[in-house]
Amino acid sequence: MIRIQELTKSFDGGKSYAVESLSLEVYEGETMVLLGSSGCGKTTTLKMINRLVEPTSGLIQVGGRDVKNQDTASLRRRIGYVFQEIGLFPHMTIEQNIAIVPKLLGWDKERRHLRAGELLELMDLDPSLFANRYPDELSGGQQQRVGVARALAANPDYLLMDEPFGALDALTRDTLQQELISLKDSLRKTIIFVTHDIFEAFALGDRIAVLHAGRLQQVGTKDEVYNHPASPFVAELFSRPSRQLELIGKKL
Amino acid sequence: MQEENLIIFMLERLPQLWLRTGEHLMLTGVSTGVAIILGVPLGILASRIDRMRGPLLGATGILQTIPSLAMLAILLAITGKIGALPAIIALILYSLLPITRNTLTGIQEVSPASLEAARGIGMTSHQQLWMIKIPLALPVIVAGIRTAAVTGVGIATLSAFIGAGGLGQFINRGLALANNNLVLLGAIPAALLALLVDFSISTMLWSVQPRKHRHLRPRWRTLLRGLAFSMPFLIGIAGAIAFVSGTRTVSNYESVSRDKEFQNKVVIASKNFTEQFILGELMAQIIEGNTGLSVDRRFNLGGTMICHGALVSGEIDLYAEYTGTGLTAILKEPVLSNPDEAFKVVAKEYSHRFDIEWLKPFGFNNTYAITVRQEDARLKGWEKISDLGKSASNLRAGFTSEFSERPDGYPGLIRAYGFRFGIVKDLDPTLMYEALVREEVDVICAFATDGRIDAYNLKPLQDDRRFFPPYQAAPLIRRQVKRDYPEIEQVLVQLSGLLDNSIMQKLNYEVDGKKISPRQVAREFLKSHNLLKSVQ
Repeated sequence: MIRIQELTKSFDGGKSYAVESLSLEVYEGETMVLLGSSGCGKTTTLKMINRLVEPTSGLIQVGGRDVKNQDTASLRRRIGYVFQEIGLFPHMTIEQNIAIVPKLLGWDKERRHLRAGELLELMDLDPSLFANRYPDELSGGQQQRVGVARALAANPDYLLMDEPFGALDALTRDTLQQELISLKDSLRKTIIFVTHDIFEAFALGDRIAVLHAGRLQQVGTKDEVYNHPASPFVAELFSRPSRQLELIGKKL
Repeated sequence: MQEENLIIFMLERLPQLWLRTGEHLMLTGVSTGVAIILGVPLGILASRIDRMRGPLLGATGILQTIPSLAMLAILLAITGKIGALPAIIALILYSLLPITRNTLTGIQEVSPASLEAARGIGMTSHQQLWMIKIPLALPVIVAGIRTAAVTGVGIATLSAFIGAGGLGQFINRGLALANNNLVLLGAIPAALLALLVDFSISTMLWSVQPRKHRHLRPRWRTLLRGLAFSMPFLIGIAGAIAFVSGTRTVSNYESVSRDKEFQNKVVIASKNFTEQFILGELMAQIIEGNTGLSVDRRFNLGGTMICHGALVSGEIDLYAEYTGTGLTAILKEPVLSNPDEAFKVVAKEYSHRFDIEWLKPFGFNNTYAITVRQEDARLKGWEKISDLGKSASNLRAGFTSEFSERPDGYPGLIRAYGFRFGIVKDLDPTLMYEALVREEVDVICAFATDGRIDAYNLKPLQDDRRFFPPYQAAPLIRRQVKRDYPEIEQVLVQLSGLLDNSIMQKLNYEVDGKKISPRQVAREFLKSHNLLKSVQ
């Protein structure tokens, strides 16, 4: 479980807040989507969980332990992270990229090789074709599959995903979303998934946390946030796509 | 002699070529190596500490702009040594900028996405540096090393001026003796060496770019990468072997390394022109032939200041100097036109200030002679220097750089005669005569004893205002050495008075005109005067 209490982050010494008094609980095995427009504080919140950003105040517990008291490197190795920019290491082969965290954890070569092969299979990439290639030989979609494989390599209990499909084209994004849905059911990880895309949020999230201007607006299941919006902002947010659809319908 | 086949010429000098090439690689390799050890960490540090970046790049950039010869001269003054040390320091300083700057640039160019990923997956800052930043920056770093090493091969050629050896020694000596084959013997291998170094580092560059050899099978990939990466080191090792084995096999005529512990050895130097080589050889051979001492020859040093500095610091023991030069260039005393008086003053002052003694003069007076083409002199009626006054502003002068600066040279000449030449070019002492003959210049500052004055049909003009001081040549020796080996003075005194102006002109011409080696000219001369007891 990931517990966040009264989390606050200011980048300018208290004049303004990127995240303000945010409290949230993410249960074991559930996928929590942080939804909001850019600048709402969702990515900052995510980065504070593995301490890529240090909070101004507040408490974060991962698996019952306060992250503040943990060594950042070993904390991050226990939490898988998928980046929006993917961030594969261009000088390493796909296999080396996937096996990087196991390597940091001191796994032996054989075990790393087996694990990388396993994950490539899981990501629907043929190891005999891809293991020895370099990232720039892969398409964006293939690269992000490797990005997900890298995050899963050391079999972490927690997975943080920062708009992982944001930079991909709509078709590839759709495919990867579908794959992630089936994957998360079989892996049963605790996932926090950041997106600004309402459809993605509804497709992937067991629960959805809506953020606006650094503040949490509402947390709940799809049904709760859609049918019982807690604030005018949330209501407005979810009415927009259907209005757009209506507009398209009229034009047709 | 000039038409001698270049290939045969080179083959005959293969052992020396081997040594000089080794020396050259040693200079370049050691300096590049040290520059890597210093420059890469500096670059890494600058990538982390913002405040260091500007000053560091500024400082290394300034070093880079110092002209190579100036840099060598400055280091010579600072270290007080001739030879490899100041040369290597100069090369290191030049290499720092490309290596440091490229390290910094390489690290700064690592994409933010890779860096965030490296942090995000849990790499310590140490691991980020070694697993991500350095490997990704490596091609840029190696490119910097490549620039440094290739430039280094070129600059190392110049370090022969301060007695550091290397292929530049052939070039210098070839220029000094107007021997093109000798120049090529240095220049061609130096160019090939630069290409070889460039090639070896470009293979290294290939080896550190994994994406360039993705199509190779993994096993081959590892093998080839290893081989390519070690290429510069293999060449470095070959250079070291050449240097070490060459030092052993090549006769001490060429040897520049001085073994301080080795007793009964005198180090004799010369400046960079023919007469100095002959005087050096005369002194060396008469000592070798008549005493139990052996001689280490450090010929062809860049000029008066370098010889003097080396003598004062004890790097060398003996060289031939001219009274006028000692008086004006070293002691900064006013010009004295009486030769005996001039000799007394320099002998006293040198002994007093530097612990250096002037032995008895050889006999000739190698004064400067403002010289024109015989034909021009006839046509225009030039006999004396003051005759040039009217047309001076239309004349092109070719002077040695030393003459252009020395108070007893051009600046004094202007004051004494009250005119300036239209154009003044700095020329190498030995190129000056050819330039006059080819009508590239109209006036030169010849040396009165130069054989080419007669051979090329040139006309030295009379110094009618008695401006040039006497330049009697005499051996200069450190007092310590004179005391330790009194036999040196005893044999050198046999040379005194033996060489008058016409004899010196003749000897000079045998080298410059007939292309006989200074060593042989000296040997023949000593033999003909029965000054060699034992023939070596």
